Amino acid sequence: MVAARQDTLLAQMRRGTLQYCVLALLSQGERYAPELVRALGDVDGMVTSEGTIYPLLSRIRKDGLVETTWRESATGPPRRYYRLTTAGHTALRVFIDEWNTFRDGVDHFIQGGEADGQGQRSLGRRLPRSA
Amino acid sequence: MAKGNDRLVDDYLGRLEKELRGLPRARRRELLDEIREHIEEERSQLDIEGEAGLRNILDRLGEPSDIAAEARYRFGVAEKKRAGAVEVGALILLPIGGIVIPVVGWIIGVVLLWVSDAWSTRDKLIGTLVPPGGFVGAFFMWVVAAQPTIAPTCTKVFDAQGQAVSTACSGGGTSVGDVLLIVLAVALAIAPMVTVVYLATRIRRRRQAPDLAPSLG
Repeated sequence: MVAARQDTLLAQMRRGTLQYCVLALLSQGERYAPELVRALGDVDGMVTSEGTIYPLLSRIRKDGLVETTWRESATGPPRRYYRLTTAGHTALRVFIDEWNTFRDGVDHFIQGGEADGQGQRSLGRRLPRSA
Repeated sequence: MAKGNDRLVDDYLGRLEKELRGLPRARRRELLDEIREHIEEERSQLDIEGEAGLRNILDRLGEPSDIAAEARYRFGVAEKKRAGAVEVGALILLPIGGIVIPVVGWIIGVVLLWVSDAWSTRDKLIGTLVPPGGFVGAFFMWVVAAQPTIAPTCTKVFDAQGQAVSTACSGGGTSVGDVLLIVLAVALAIAPMVTVVYLATRIRRRRQAPDLAPSLG
């Protein structure tokens, strides 16, 4: 039960942060969708099926965070390139600030716990009883 | 491009289109276009256009149902469950079950209603109580309510010799009572139908297993 809840939490965290990973990738320059998908798939655990990126792209385009332009490709059909809008840049900046604060906060407790071996052990002893 | 491979792609997109039902048309079209472009792009990158290569592209894209689930999540569209036998049974038996098999028919409907997980407890209460017994229950409620008007009750007062000295009658329609009765009759007559329509629109998808993000797990 606890493990299942943890899986859900991780899945939700990935889902929630994936949007900002896409915005961050695009802040380095425009990309076409399969390229974005590949970049995200290269990082372990971010995306398992490529198709699920498209609903996200569609959503952030509707929200005006990205815009698209068609460009001819030398090797295949024309490509739809994604580019960050001003609103997208702003959203990314706001997220980065909040993410840093949040991550530092969590790290503070997690790393504090690990450094204190005594605390870890007593926590370990307490856990099975409550589980 | 081989014919068989085109069919693989068409099958995939066809399944995706079916799964995307329920999303706004514009979103559906956009997603289908983008996935089609993705497949075309990836196909053009293949050294040899073979079935294996194409199947790999589609496998990496993932199940259409996963893509559709993600789309519903991103656009905040509730998943709609198509009514199963239990739900259909409940929707039929609640209003008219009592006509087919008196009392028992309606009770079976109630059992199906509560067994199904397609409704919230609140909806189940509404389905059970508005009105209890379906059309039959509504009819009885109307008869009970109409009783004083239809058959005015008269009380005769007798003297010691058994002669009636006076008669006092209660009931008998006043105009306000008549109007109320007609309103009640109409309300009771349509209540079972309104409830069924309401329940039909409230059918929801079974709660999914803990993994809410099948695609990103």
